[in-house]
Formats: sequence, structure tokens, C-alpha cells
Amino acid sequence: MWSGSWRVRFQEDKVSSFRKSKTAEPWPENATLYQQLKGEQILLSDNAASLAVQAFLQMCNLPVKVVCRANAEYMSPSGKVPFIHVGNQVVSELGPIVQFVKAKGHSLSDGLDEVQKAEMKAYMELVNNMLLTAELYLQWCDEATVGEITHARYGSPYPWPLNHILAYQKQWEVKRKMKAIGWGNKTLDQVLEDVDQCCQALSQRLGTQPYFFNKQPTELDALVFGHLYTILTTQLTNDELSEKVKNYSNLLAFCRRIEQHYFEDRGKGSSSIRSS
Amino acid sequence: YSTVHSLEPLPANGPDFGALGEEAEFVEVEPEAKQEILENKDVVVQHVHFDGLGRTKDDIIICEIGDVFKAKNLIEAIEAHVLAAALFNAPLLLGEDALPNGLDVTFEVTELRRLTGSYNTMVGNNEGSMVLGLKLPNLLGRAEKVTFQFSYGTKETSYGLSFFKPRPGNFERNFSVNVYKVTGQFPWSSLRETDRGVSAEYSFPVWKTSHTVKWDGVWRELGCLSRATSFAVRKESGHSLKSSLSHAMVIDSRNSSILPRRGALLKVNQVPRLGRGESHTGARFLYGTPSFNSPAPPACLWKGLHLFYLGGPTSVRGFSMHSVGPQSEGDYLGGEAYWAGGLHLYTPLPFRPGQGGFGELFRTHFFLNAGNLCNLNYGEGPQAHIRKLAECIRWSYGAGIVLRLGNIARLELNYCVPMGVQPGDR
Repeated sequence: MWSGSWRVRFQEDKVSSFRKSKTAEPWPENATLYQQLKGEQILLSDNAASLAVQAFLQMCNLPVKVVCRANAEYMSPSGKVPFIHVGNQVVSELGPIVQFVKAKGHSLSDGLDEVQKAEMKAYMELVNNMLLTAELYLQWCDEATVGEITHARYGSPYPWPLNHILAYQKQWEVKRKMKAIGWGNKTLDQVLEDVDQCCQALSQRLGTQPYFFNKQPTELDALVFGHLYTILTTQLTNDELSEKVKNYSNLLAFCRRIEQHYFEDRGKGSSSIRSS
Repeated sequence: YSTVHSLEPLPANGPDFGALGEEAEFVEVEPEAKQEILENKDVVVQHVHFDGLGRTKDDIIICEIGDVFKAKNLIEAIEAHVLAAALFNAPLLLGEDALPNGLDVTFEVTELRRLTGSYNTMVGNNEGSMVLGLKLPNLLGRAEKVTFQFSYGTKETSYGLSFFKPRPGNFERNFSVNVYKVTGQFPWSSLRETDRGVSAEYSFPVWKTSHTVKWDGVWRELGCLSRATSFAVRKESGHSLKSSLSHAMVIDSRNSSILPRRGALLKVNQVPRLGRGESHTGARFLYGTPSFNSPAPPACLWKGLHLFYLGGPTSVRGFSMHSVGPQSEGDYLGGEAYWAGGLHLYTPLPFRPGQGGFGELFRTHFFLNAGNLCNLNYGEGPQAHIRKLAECIRWSYGAGIVLRLGNIARLELNYCVPMGVQPGDR
């Protein structure tokens, strides 16, 4: 008996030291997250993505400093914000960041079984395909929003005529992508309908639980929070988008809960959710 | 001016010739050119005719050819036929008329074709490229030229459209407008750069010097060459707009630009500060005598980070291309100030093989290069800057063979001993 347990302990040691050698250094104190300028430049979709990553890192208890740079989009290795600079590594977007953090030994979804993990991935896909695309559509394909908000914000750090050139270039790129995924001919109402359906699905899955997978938040919670919170607190040309979310009270409560739990104590709740 | 002139057979006695100003009809007659040794005869040019003009305008011809009227002898008349290459190819035909020493000058011209194409390959400074060009010379009749050029190379790809207009009567005074796009890769900094720009320049001579004032507006886009690019370089990625005004002055009395035997070149250029922009001044001095030459490396304002780079086969030999000075994780960032100089001695090959023929293209080459590159700490004042540039000098010496390729290029094969290598240099 005694020899058996000794053998098991030896195996465990080998496994854990192997894992340690695969992961690099521990999470450094000076990890930084880069996004565009908060006040004048960043757009709805990028803000949502950045907030999702910040929420995720908070949930993992990993400190990160947020740095705003006008050229964050171009600094990123994949062209998308946010990205984190940890030690010598640069990783962008939530998916790869979750993988990177997992390799360092931190994970929020370890407690889930295979079925739940598949479900979580499916809902994350839903948010990316519906909510994120709807945000991009509203920003770049709705003429009113483009004219009043997006164009001016996107080009704000650059001098004339570069500000117009870059904004038109980006708009053309997004419109092309929309056509490729079949959203080119959608109207604004259809897009808002899609948002409503997505919120309905999320609301149903959440039910009365505090988080999507009951007691502990996962990366899905971070992602949903990032998008919903940003939609609720961003001033657009009209309130239609945020109204769609406000229809679901459990989603509102969910956002408020995460905000209080993970952000308020750090003083980040500068624009808190207004209850209707 | 009439566009066609018929040459009648020359009369036996000069003064009896009638119709001084008689213009010919549009009749083309095969001229019977009378062969005469006219070299040192005193002449007075009475008429100048042009044969074969199509789109070239009259006023520019008057300007260019005005000197012909002032010619006192035939040599001068021929020499006054200047810069016609911009307009046309022009052999000279002469006839005698009226006064015993009167001269009727006829230019039989062939205007340059409306469109010419060219294809070149260029090899230089460890990179090669293929250049395709399209030229529309003498576009509107006054020696304007539009050029389109496309260049595809190992380090850089570019295309550009340029419009050039000289001042009629004084081709050294000219202006040109260019539109261009250049894409390049710089592995020593792990940087990729795309520039789209517009520039306008105006050149004019002042006594023996030639001045150029140029405005350049560029939309610059920087990107990382790979995922392993250092963060210091990654921070520079993105778009920016640069506008600059520069002035250059050149005095060149050399007799060859590749291996001059005599003469000197002095080129000074400066970029004054515009608003929040940078300013810089550079000078390049080359002096040559039959056996001694001192090519100084050019002030390379690298557009990537608006900094200077040092190192490479045309600046400090023995160091890798642009691989001297401040660097981060293997990427070279460049510096705010530099100096560089070189001393070169060229001699014919030992034992003079192939003397008088092929061997003349080669020279043995002994050199001493030195330079330094650093960033300046602006709080310290000019003496600290000079001190900083004087410490940790990189230098190298060596010997090799130089081969001159026509008047265009030179090939060098050198053995270098780098000295004063600082940590981080390559």
C-alpha cells in the first residue's frame, strides 16, 4: 500500500514539473493591454472586445494595465484589438488570449465537462456571429451612424486628409466583409431583430443563475458582459440597440452583477448601467 | 517659320541671289548638300529653318535657337544647338545665301516619338530590381515630359508618375511634380513600409551652383515584418502623414560620377523645421584626384523611423547593412545623429595585367572607413553631443578590388577588418 501511493505521487510530480516546463514564466506584474483611445477614438465593437478581455483577466485574478494608443489596431499582430503584451509575447483577441492564459495554468472552464464546454463554445460563436456583426453593421453600414459618429471617431487621431482616407478605407473593408457573410442586403430592422433573437437565446440560457454555468463565471460570461455592457452604455444616434437588450431583465442584472463584482472596486464603473 | 524649306542648288555668284526672305512652299526637295570645309569661315547667320516639326511649339524653338543667330563662326553655330535632345534629334544642314558670308541654317529634325518604353535592370547596394518605364517626351510642344516608372526589386517595389517642365530658353530652370507609391522591406529592423506621396520640386541655377527646392507630402504606413518583431518597432506601426520642405545645393566639377579623376562634388541639403516636424542638415563632399579618392557615405535619411542608419558596403564596410547603433531585440532602430567618413586609395592592379584594355576597368582599393551613430540627449548641450559622437567610434580598414562597369556602377570585393565594434553591432 505504502509503495503504491509513493508510485502515484512520483507520477504526479513528473506531470506537474512537465507542465511547469511547458509554461513560461508566471504572469508578470507589468502585463499590458492595448486598445484605442478611450474618449475620442474607440468604436463600439472594439470597446466590447476590449472589455470582454479585461473582464476575463479580472475573473482569472490576473492584473493587467490598460494602455490606450491611437495605432493599437495596427500594432496588433492580427489587426484586431485588444491585444496583450505579456513578457515577450504579444497575443490578440479573446480566443487566443484564453488559450495563452490556460497555458500559464489559469483557466475558468476547467470545471466544465465536455458537453458544457461544447455548449459554451457554441454560445460564444453565437455572440461573435450575431452581436459582434450587428455592432459592426450599425457602425459602418448605417449611414446615419457612420456620418455622425463612426467616421469622425475613427479618423480623429490623424491629420487631414489621412483621417478621411483611413475611415473610408475601413468602411469599404467592413462592407465587403458584410457582403461576404450575407449581411450586405440586410436592413437595420432585420439586424435589430437578429440582436433581439440573440438576446432571447442568451436570456433563456442564463435563466435565474448568477452566471451561465451556475456559480462560477467563464469566458462566455466575460464575452457576453463585454458586449452587453458596451451596448447599454454607449451613446448612439438612437437607443434602438440598447432597448433590445433592456427588454431582458436578467441580462441587465447579470451585467450589473459583474460590474459590481469585478470592476467597481477598481473604480472602473464610470458609466454605470441605468435602469429603465 | 516655315516648316519645310527647299534647298535649291547654290548659285555660282553669291550677291546676285534674289528673294532674301522668300519662303518656300510646302515642297520637299531632296537637298543636294554641297560639301565644303566651312570650319573657320566667318559667317553671319541670316535665316534658320526647321524641317519636320509637328507638335513642338514655335516659342520654345526661338528661345533655344536664339544663340545660333549670335554665332560668329560655324563652330559656334553648331555649339549653339543646345539641349535639342529634349525636343528632337537635329542634324545640321547649311546653305549659303545673300551675303558672301551669310548663312542659312536648316535643322532637319525628327521629333521624338510620342511614347517610348524602356526596360532596365538595376543592381546596387546588395539589392537588385527591374525597372519598366514609359516616357512621353515633349508632350505639349515645350519639352514637357511625363514619365511613368514601375520598379520591382528584391527589397522595394515602387511606381510613380512624374511631370517635368523646363523653362523655355533655360533648361536648368525646371520644375517637376511627382506622384508615387513605394513599398519596401527592411529586415534589419523587421519593418515593412509603404509610402504614398506627392512631391513638387523646382530647380534653378545660381552662378556655378545648382539649387533645388522640394516639397514632399507622404502618407506613410509602417508594419511589422513578422511576429518576432521587437516591441519597440511594433509600437511604430500604423499610419502617419509627413510633410517636408527641403533645399539642396550641388556644385559638381568632377569629370565622372563613378571613379572621377579630377574635380569635387559638394552637396548640401537641409530640411527646415515645419511646425512640429523634424529638421536635419546633411552635407556630402567628394574629392578626387587621379590616384586618390575620398567618397564619403551619403546621409541616409531612412524614412522608416526618420532616423539615420549606419553600416553596409557603402558606408562603414565590415558591418552589416544598417546594423550599427541602438537596437532592440535584434532590430536596429537607427539614431538621431551620425557622422561617417572614409579614405580610399585606388591604384591600378599590381603587375598591370591587361594594361590599356580590360585591366583599366579594375583598380586595387585600400580603404579606411569610420563612423558613429547615437541618440542625442537634448538636455546636455552641443559639447556633450560631440563628445558622444566621438566616443566608441566604429571603424574598419581593408583592401580589395573595384571593377568599374561603364559609367553606371562599380563592383567591389573587399576584405574588411572591423574595429571598434560595440555590443549589439553586427
